[in-house]
Amino acid sequence: MNRDYVLVAALAPLLGTTQTLPMAAVMGGCAVLMVGLHQALLMPLRNRLHGAAYVLASLLILAGLASCLQLALRAWLLPMALLLGPYPALLCLTCLAMDRLLPEAGRWRSLLLHLGGLLAAYLVLGACRQGLGVQLANLAPGALLLLGLLLALYNHLRPGPAHPRRQGKP
Amino acid sequence: MKRIAQAAVLLATAALALSTTLIWRTWTTPTIGEAEKQLQSRQRLAVLPEASYDNHPLDTPLPTPDAQLAHSRIVSAYRATLAGTPAAVVLITQAQGYAGPIVLTIAITPDGRLLGSQVVEQQESPGLGGRLADPQVHWLTQFANRSLGDHWALKRDQGDFDQLAGATVTSRAVIEALQDALRYFDEHRHALLEGFPHE
Repeated sequence: MNRDYVLVAALAPLLGTTQTLPMAAVMGGCAVLMVGLHQALLMPLRNRLHGAAYVLASLLILAGLASCLQLALRAWLLPMALLLGPYPALLCLTCLAMDRLLPEAGRWRSLLLHLGGLLAAYLVLGACRQGLGVQLANLAPGALLLLGLLLALYNHLRPGPAHPRRQGKP
Repeated sequence: MKRIAQAAVLLATAALALSTTLIWRTWTTPTIGEAEKQLQSRQRLAVLPEASYDNHPLDTPLPTPDAQLAHSRIVSAYRATLAGTPAAVVLITQAQGYAGPIVLTIAITPDGRLLGSQVVEQQESPGLGGRLADPQVHWLTQFANRSLGDHWALKRDQGDFDQLAGATVTSRAVIEALQDALRYFDEHRHALLEGFPHE
């Protein structure tokens, strides 16, 4: 099985919360914050824990981070927190996928690059879904179609031959 | 030896995560309570036009006897006054929608016309009945200025009103709840406009 398939798990919060640009912006910010903090907190543990112990520590940290995030959203952005529903907690999936996929060498540079990409995906998808004004774009299945179209456009516009990984091939 | 070190690190991580979360929770609880109160009052009073009242209606809930109506239930009632005279009565009512309860705020003028209505809570199907709460779909505005003399039913039921496309159950539930509220106001007009609030 292709390792990249774990990225599918990270799709739920992306598709579920990009109905409008403000929602997408808040969620994108939360995603960057969660993944960044998760990676920073795991850094001192990476050499000390292995196997199941590492996964368990990662999950414990994520549980704490997600709880704090939900509480913070309710305290300072309550109307937004109600709109977002349970999705901020699902950002844990994004964090786990990132932790698995980031390479050992050049981890921080790669992390920054991917966080930038993730934030851009949130913002572009939010802007498109709000701007299009089509009923389908408002619902989650429409968002999946739109994301596919955006990725196709990205592959088309990007100069040079597309890397096989971006074509969905292993 | 290595296993014990791993267990110790794991335990420390767990303790740290748990204590941080608990401290964070204690610290944010008052702010969350404040925010919830503010949001509730904004939601419940959003039906009233600004500057149409000068009291704090939510501080003095009115008694609501016989709150169970034919198709809905009155949750609470408030009176908005301007310079001491009643400007409107706000009824919070709960009706059974297609997927769950629909909570509406309904503002009624002293002469028994519907001033406006808004959705506070609903779980209707997204894209169908859920469009009830969509600010871009002005379905609820067609009821403004209507009173009990109108035909409170969908056009397909020989009434006066359009329905939300594809959401007949939701539309009927809302129309019946509005009619219930207007009838309730008519029956309890004196108590709602002049009665004393709960102590």
